[in-house]
Amino acid sequence: MTSEAPSGSLVSVQSVNKHYGQLHVLQDINLDVRKGEVVVVIGPSGSGKSTLCRAINRLETIESGEIFIDGRKLPEEGSELARLRADVGMVFQSFNLFAHKTILENVTLGPIKVKGVDKKTAEKDAMALLERVGVSQQAPKLPAQLSGGQQQRVAIARALAMKPKVMLFDEPTSALDPEMINEVLDVMVELARDGMTMIVVTHEMGFARKAADRVVFMADGQIVEQASPEAFFTNPQSSRAKDFLSKLLTH
Amino acid sequence: MGTLLNNLDIFTIGFRNTVILFLVSGFFSLILGTLVGAMRVSPIPALRTFGTLYVNVVRNTPLTLVMFFFAFGYPKLGLPEIDFTVSAIVALSIYTATYVAEVLRAGINTVPVGQAEAARAIGLPFTQTLTLIVLPQAFRSVLPPLFSVLIALLKNTTVAAGFSVTEAGAIRAYLAERGEPALVVLLWVAFFFVILVLILAQLQRYFEKKWKVAR
Repeated sequence: MTSEAPSGSLVSVQSVNKHYGQLHVLQDINLDVRKGEVVVVIGPSGSGKSTLCRAINRLETIESGEIFIDGRKLPEEGSELARLRADVGMVFQSFNLFAHKTILENVTLGPIKVKGVDKKTAEKDAMALLERVGVSQQAPKLPAQLSGGQQQRVAIARALAMKPKVMLFDEPTSALDPEMINEVLDVMVELARDGMTMIVVTHEMGFARKAADRVVFMADGQIVEQASPEAFFTNPQSSRAKDFLSKLLTH
Repeated sequence: MGTLLNNLDIFTIGFRNTVILFLVSGFFSLILGTLVGAMRVSPIPALRTFGTLYVNVVRNTPLTLVMFFFAFGYPKLGLPEIDFTVSAIVALSIYTATYVAEVLRAGINTVPVGQAEAARAIGLPFTQTLTLIVLPQAFRSVLPPLFSVLIALLKNTTVAAGFSVTEAGAIRAYLAERGEPALVVLLWVAFFFVILVLILAQLQRYFEKKWKVAR
């Protein structure tokens, strides 16, 4: 069975399944994200939301189903996959800045090695991006010398340096101290306002309210409910979503 | 002191050849070892199998036997002739590479998986992920054991003396013919080896300082 990406979708996930041993972590997942749309994926831990996010640039393999990025089917391996990944920015929970490279080198590496941009241009662009996320002062330092919030903003700049078509955020603030969460969320809100297509796995309901076009609620490997943030938070339809939200609000 | 000064020619030739054997086979064993180490973590099963086979066969063979093969077995294969020094270098490189590969593989395992994921996420292919991100960090974290391997290589060069290569391990035999006391000669040889190893240790400290990776 071959299918095609629906026109207008930048990211199209179709009937995707995956198991971890006995656990059916992605159960027949369908998700389409339009260009410029900000989709926030929420749900209890173990619901498969991170796995879904990682599957979209194939850091996780899938067993069945298909994923399209900008109309192109996600290749299985090799240089074609590498090229497609260059179009998909990824921000990780644990930042994953290259520990042996300076902040500036972290941001310029992709453009220089993957896109063949010359060093001078890459550095100029990188400094502009670091300025934009507010860490240009730190350019010559090593990642370990920065706070978590600063590292995560650099990670966002590193992803943006590839001029991606879509940005994936896998719980970008979950490893941060509370006082650093907002500095990262502010950058993300601004990015959303600038029209970036974003898929954000997060526990930050404030961000979902403020920046999301659509909230996708996952539980037990399934997409249980999706709606606008307004509709989802004020009037959830499923009992799973009601239960999840009530647990959040009691604290 | 007389033993040393009267036979400076032999000592010089001996240690010069030791240093040459060490530097050349050190160079090739690092390159070959890195390749084999990379094979052992490769996503391609055939390369992984080859890497494992190579390490297990060569590492489990005594160095003397590896030397024997190149000194006496190889010439019978009808391939182009190589002299004893070259065959000693080949044997030492092939043998030491297995240790380099294993040390490096341990180093690769210390690099958090997120580093490689981040590299792949910005579109770097497997080879560049390995050479730009994973291996540089792996090398840094295994400098001490890697230098132990190099120090062992330096001392293993003396095995080549058994195959007519005039290096430091052969000095005693030469000087015995000149009637020098064996114990004094051996003490001098040992002394110079200690000096060479100390130089290596300094080099190790230099790189450890220079490449300190903070996490």
